[in-house]
Amino acid sequence: MALGIGTTAGITLSPLPWKITDDLSIWTQNWPWTPVPADGEATDTNSACMLCPGGCGVTVRKIGNRVVKVEGMKGHPVNDGGICALGLAAPQLLYSPTRVKSPMKKINGSWRKISWDDAIAEIAAKLIELRAAGKSHTVACIAESDRGTVPLLWSRLLTVYGSPNFMRPATMEDAYSLVMEKTQGHHGVPGFDLENADFVLSLGCGIIEGWGSPVRMFKAHSQWKNKHAKLVQVEPRLSNTAAKADQWLAIKPGTEAQLALGLAHVILSESLFHRPFTDNFSDGFESCKQAILSQFHPDRVAESTGIPAETIRSLGRAFAGAKHPIAICGRGQGHVPGSFQETAAVYLLNALVGNIGQKGGVWAMPEPEYVNWPEVEMDSVAANAMQQTRMDGAGGEHYPDARYLLTRLPEMINAGIGDGVQVLFISGANPAYTLPGSQAARKALARIPFKVSFSTHMDETAEMADMILPNHCFLERYEDVPVTSGLTKPMVNLAVPVLQPLYDTKHVGDVIIALARSLGGNIAAAFPWKNYQACLKKTLGDRWAHLTEETYWVDNNYRPTQWQDGFETATGKFIFPDAKRLNRSPLAAQGDLTLIACDSMCLSSGSVGTPPFLIKTVPDTVLKDLYMVVEMNPKTAAALQLKEGSNAVLSTQRGAARVKVHFSEGIMPGLVAMQRGLGHSAYDKYLAGKGVNINELMGPVDDPDSGYDAAWGISASLTKA
Amino acid sequence: MKQEHVKPKKFGMVIDLDKCTGCGSCMVACMAENNVPFKENETNKLDSITWMRVFKLTNNKPFPMNEICYLPRPCQHCEGHNGHSPCVSVCPATATDYDMETGIVSQIYTRCFGCRYCMGACPYHARYFNWWDPVWPEGMEKMLSPNVSPRMRGVVEKCSFCYHRYQRAKDKVYYEGTREIEEGDYQTACTQACPAGAITFGDLNNKHHAVYRLKKDPHAFRLLERLGTNTKVYYVSRKEWVRRAGDNYLPGEEIGKVKGGHK
Amino acid sequence: MDSALIPEGVKRCPLPKFVIGLSVVGAVLLWGVYAMLLCWLKGLNQTNMNDYYGFALWIWADLAVIALGGGAFFTGLLRYIIGKDELKNIINFAVLIGFICYSSALLILAIDIGQPLRGWFIFWHANVHSMLTEVAFCLSCYFAVLTIEYIPLVLENRQLDKIPFFHNLTHNMHEVMAVFAATGAFLSCFHQGSLGGVAGVLFGRPFAYREGLLVWPWTFFLFTWSAAAYGPCFTIFLTKLLEKIVGKKLVKDNVIELLAKISGWMIFTYIIAKTADTWYWVAVTAPSKGFQLMDFYSNNAFYGVWILIAEIVVGGFFPALILITHKGRSTTGLLWTAVLLGMIGVCLNRWVMVLQVMAVPVLSFDHWALYYPSWQEVATTILPVAYGVTLVALSYRYLPIFPQEKELNPVAA
Ligand SMILES: Nc1nc2c(c(=O)[nH]1)N[C@H]1C(S)=C(S)[C@@H](COP(=O)(O)OP(=O)(O)OC[C@H]3O[C@@H](n4cnc5c(=O)[nH]c(N)nc54)[C@H](O)[C@@H]3O)O[C@H]1N2
Ligand SMILES: Nc1nc2c(c(=O)[nH]1)N[C@H]1C(S)=C(S)[C@@H](COP(=O)(O)OP(=O)(O)OC[C@H]3O[C@@H](n4cnc5c(=O)[nH]c(N)nc54)[C@H](O)[C@@H]3O)O[C@H]1N2
Ligand code: SF4
Ligand code: SF4
Ligand code: SF4
Ligand code: SF4
Ligand code: SF4
Repeated sequence: MALGIGTTAGITLSPLPWKITDDLSIWTQNWPWTPVPADGEATDTNSACMLCPGGCGVTVRKIGNRVVKVEGMKGHPVNDGGICALGLAAPQLLYSPTRVKSPMKKINGSWRKISWDDAIAEIAAKLIELRAAGKSHTVACIAESDRGTVPLLWSRLLTVYGSPNFMRPATMEDAYSLVMEKTQGHHGVPGFDLENADFVLSLGCGIIEGWGSPVRMFKAHSQWKNKHAKLVQVEPRLSNTAAKADQWLAIKPGTEAQLALGLAHVILSESLFHRPFTDNFSDGFESCKQAILSQFHPDRVAESTGIPAETIRSLGRAFAGAKHPIAICGRGQGHVPGSFQETAAVYLLNALVGNIGQKGGVWAMPEPEYVNWPEVEMDSVAANAMQQTRMDGAGGEHYPDARYLLTRLPEMINAGIGDGVQVLFISGANPAYTLPGSQAARKALARIPFKVSFSTHMDETAEMADMILPNHCFLERYEDVPVTSGLTKPMVNLAVPVLQPLYDTKHVGDVIIALARSLGGNIAAAFPWKNYQACLKKTLGDRWAHLTEETYWVDNNYRPTQWQDGFETATGKFIFPDAKRLNRSPLAAQGDLTLIACDSMCLSSGSVGTPPFLIKTVPDTVLKDLYMVVEMNPKTAAALQLKEGSNAVLSTQRGAARVKVHFSEGIMPGLVAMQRGLGHSAYDKYLAGKGVNINELMGPVDDPDSGYDAAWGISASLTKA
Repeated sequence: MKQEHVKPKKFGMVIDLDKCTGCGSCMVACMAENNVPFKENETNKLDSITWMRVFKLTNNKPFPMNEICYLPRPCQHCEGHNGHSPCVSVCPATATDYDMETGIVSQIYTRCFGCRYCMGACPYHARYFNWWDPVWPEGMEKMLSPNVSPRMRGVVEKCSFCYHRYQRAKDKVYYEGTREIEEGDYQTACTQACPAGAITFGDLNNKHHAVYRLKKDPHAFRLLERLGTNTKVYYVSRKEWVRRAGDNYLPGEEIGKVKGGHK
Repeated sequence: MDSALIPEGVKRCPLPKFVIGLSVVGAVLLWGVYAMLLCWLKGLNQTNMNDYYGFALWIWADLAVIALGGGAFFTGLLRYIIGKDELKNIINFAVLIGFICYSSALLILAIDIGQPLRGWFIFWHANVHSMLTEVAFCLSCYFAVLTIEYIPLVLENRQLDKIPFFHNLTHNMHEVMAVFAATGAFLSCFHQGSLGGVAGVLFGRPFAYREGLLVWPWTFFLFTWSAAAYGPCFTIFLTKLLEKIVGKKLVKDNVIELLAKISGWMIFTYIIAKTADTWYWVAVTAPSKGFQLMDFYSNNAFYGVWILIAEIVVGGFFPALILITHKGRSTTGLLWTAVLLGMIGVCLNRWVMVLQVMAVPVLSFDHWALYYPSWQEVATTILPVAYGVTLVALSYRYLPIFPQEKELNPVAA
């Protein structure tokens, strides 16, 4: 006993326990499983962001060879140091475990590594076989864009090989281009001089939710606050843009065109329009005016839109009375083009106040013009094939005005029209996820016997593919990034490799060139470049040196053509839209409950999968555990006997999904709103299986005028689960 | 060297809530800058580490009079009375401290033993506990910055006003000679990233810094001034209901007319 | 079998029965230990605490056991300092309960912190401004005192007492026990107070914040007072409970009644002070920060004014009024009611001062945060109870805890 006490006392008084106590605490400060980031030389490299069409410049901070941060590039004409959440999270995309690390081929349903040479040889063999069988037009390509060298290499390959089926998603920019073509004869893109406007009438644009060039729009919005410019937001839900607006007009969804025409009625009937413009520089004004005056009296418009006639009158007067008013449209981020009627009606408002091509107004901008490759020499196979109608019907009998109708492709394939698609290249797009009516889209994709994905990450479409030839991530490659997105300055950015590719990936441009070379003949001859970088350098010509130095090129002096210099139409005048096309009743009938989509800066709804940092910023009123949360007015919920947080099944004719309900006083009764960008089945545990992809519940609605998708909602029902 | 005569700095922010769009760039910028961990499910906002958190405020009126406003909330770097911030004063192990030279409330992860008293003390919920070991998916630990040590499980963390950037700025001016740190030398990651330019950061004591002027805006206020936390983050809004939401008021009390509250 | 260890002149149940009973408690204990190990090895993600509930069930349990264990210091104070000699018949038991409560409190704290291996930083890097520092120092010191008070009791075991060294040690320790009791009372006053201060100093939390005297908020004094007032209720309750379990009287009624009477008057005065404090807080402190009483008790699913009434009226005035009347404390049913209500009252007080503080939103745009504990938290909270039962059972069986037991329950020789 005494011995025990003695020992205890001895140990206590010895340094041993104290040393152990200290060492244990030091151990907790250096737990081996908590990483210690390696140090190294810090460098900053400028480059271009390619995660959305916004066109921001980025500064990439590296420590040694590790990318640790992506920041907004100071002094860049688009973002001047600012940056969106997605751009900031770019390192998570670079280092994502869902990167495709080598070329792969699906054999009996599972992925096997394959060499680049074998992969290209196999594709070439297939293409040669199809061409020999007279089926070259059954080869199609879906790219994210049709501008810049890589998409143009794709369409060049398809053209010279013999397929008209190069496609990309259409957006509100296409709807605008079409209207500009009809009214001004201009083949190009719209520019919005928003920084100089003092009254902005937005029909549902998510000005601070990713519309146009997101960071540029944020900056414009802040400028409006500084100079007290007025923003009026028209949409059925209190979006962030509506919240920031000076006035929010909750409108029955789908009736925006009616409102625009009602405003036109006020402007016309009260003679508030810009007479010099209508008198001297336009055609068709009178008939357009008569049509509007007879059909869109504010009292009638009030009935269809739910906005009081008095509000319409005062808004019309305020708009016309402003010094630099501008009206814009394109719902949310503008991913859905919208109807011709709507875009034309909004465009018309701008014409009435005489802001076309003026300070603070809407500008006709050129298509990016720097890619000037020699015309391809088509052999008879290619020339014949290029006469075939496109699979998606764009430019065809029904929809002669449309350029791309990707949203119609699944329907055409599923209907078994023509020879179908035998080979599909998917480059920078994820149609299995992003196409509205995605079940039908996946069904159509499944019918295509050979699909090759060029995705950097294992997305939904890549999972369905037969072969994946992974592109470098944008931080690992050179690529030109022409920027339109509503800017008023022609601009092109250059993405530069800020680090060596992490994996066995290959620039998609190099793959196209290699493929063309394997196909030989005219096809190979159309691709005379040693490799993609040589092609890019040659294409950019004098700008290469400037771009590799500055990473952006911008024409600060661009000014749109002035009225007196004539519009590009036959008469040189602005042609007011056809009254017949303006006078359409709203598309799609509204049931008791309508599902509408909404956009947010914290979710990427396009081909880029939202990285973990962004998912973290998603509110629990959008995503709760794995549940999609939908937003509805408590009044709507009361009628359906739903409580805040209750589980429900949301169904439409397209599909059904389990959701949770969240109440909001910021949404019109009768609507239920769901965010875009969730419901992925691909990617990692941070994204996969969370929420619902709204494209499963909503399908495309073809605009009778253009064929572009004009869906703004869908009849839905919600039942307690 | 006349360093002794230099007035202590008091770094702070002025955030324009009319410009803030709730986009979350500041949140992500902060996560990326400060090696903030993330986990599979971040939908429980009560255990989700966000040094910068954007709150959504509403005026609680029914449709269509409903309004919302976003409010980014970094640590407010409370000065309290003489540096007696709510959190610093309670930490039993001096693991968080008020720096009289910069006004920055520090957090020493290796000293914190995770009692969480500071969290209870902070009315802004600016403090976050590492309930889990931080885990980065394989390969993603490559994006960790060596300027900020990743935190181990069991300790509290919070916004540091990107203190490592202050250190970098100090180093920079040290190497360049004896000039003072200028406004542009030290800017926080969230300030830089904000695409709306809603955040302004600088020395509130330095009349050459923008914050010095902006904090005097008649529409400027601080959160919970009546508690005496004496914060260094100012907010500006032209909307009265937003300014009123910045503190608690009894029915009938008018904003700007209560003792201890915002003037 | 173990009769050699059992104190002379008292009867204990057969060993197998004792062992079976103990193993049931042991199973619960093991469950608690398992949960405790989970918390240590996997971290506090095993709990349902979160960034809004940094303090939750454990801290409440901590505060509650310390308040209930307050019977030890207060009885000691009465016995050794004030000279209420009758209380010598219950002081051993009070000390034992105190020892259990304080050791439990320390254990809970060791589980509650995120970095238990750095727990000693609280001493090494002490921040003298922190109430928790004060708590840590006083708690540890007072635990040492309680250990010193408990040791002679252990040494009085029949077999240990035979060793002359221990016998003498016990004797000498008893001689100086008044010094320890005084030290203990002093320390205990402080840490009970600092525990009250923990919430009271939170000037960022208007629900908790109280003005005060010098560096101590009113809660500092209220906590000390309430521990002294309600602690004896717990001592009485456990004595009565033990008597029920073992089926015999262990302490004479006059001793119990004396303690009950003192407790009653203490509660009575305490609850008047508490009422005054609450009134001042409602009328002056909270409004100065823009809060009204009902802001703290509405718009949530749990915390209504009922909890305030339950604490002050049901758990305060009721037991006080029963215990200060002779009839009340001498009627078994009423005495039971009073000590039970008293215990509930003080536990509720500790609950609101920990959990409701966390639950109430301070930012006007924030929300109430409600919480329920995980099984690991419940298990680790029950762990001290099982440990306490074990220690009481062993002590009762093998140590002469109740000096009056022999006299009250003569064993036929
Ligand atoms: N290459 C190289 N290595 C060296 C040395 C050298 O000269 N060159 N010097 C050595 C010497 S002498 C030293 S002392 C060590 C220093 O080594 P470290 O202690 O690692 O030094 P720092 O990088 O200055 O700071 C460590 C971290 O603390 C953070 N920090 C700063 N202030 C605070 C605060 O208030 N609170 C909290 N929580 N974090 C804070 C910083 O952002 C940084 O992430 O380096 C040693 N290693
Ligand atoms: N701006 C800035 N200032 C800092 C710090 C910071 O992070 N930034 N860190 C601070 C800290 S933590 C520290 S420890 C100090 C360090 O500050 P210093 O102690 O000044 O350390 P060093 O700059 O490493 O240089 C010490 C000198 O010793 C010389 N030397 C090297 N080896 C020997 C040798 O064997 N014998 C002798 N006689 N000389 C030798 C070196 O050449 C050098 O000139 O700096 C502090 N000051
Ligand atoms: S707005 Fe688009 S281009 Fe700009 S940083 Fe964000 S993702 Fe990149
Ligand atoms: S980055 Fe700027 S605009 Fe976006 S939420 Fe933060 S403060 Fe607001
Ligand atoms: S905001 Fe909270 S954490 Fe930051 S200094 Fe104030 S009390 Fe401390
Ligand atoms: S959790 Fe850490 S920083 Fe907070 S009070 Fe405890 S020891 Fe101090
Ligand atoms: S100042 Fe730095 S640490 Fe604080 S919120 Fe901003 S980015 Fe995060």
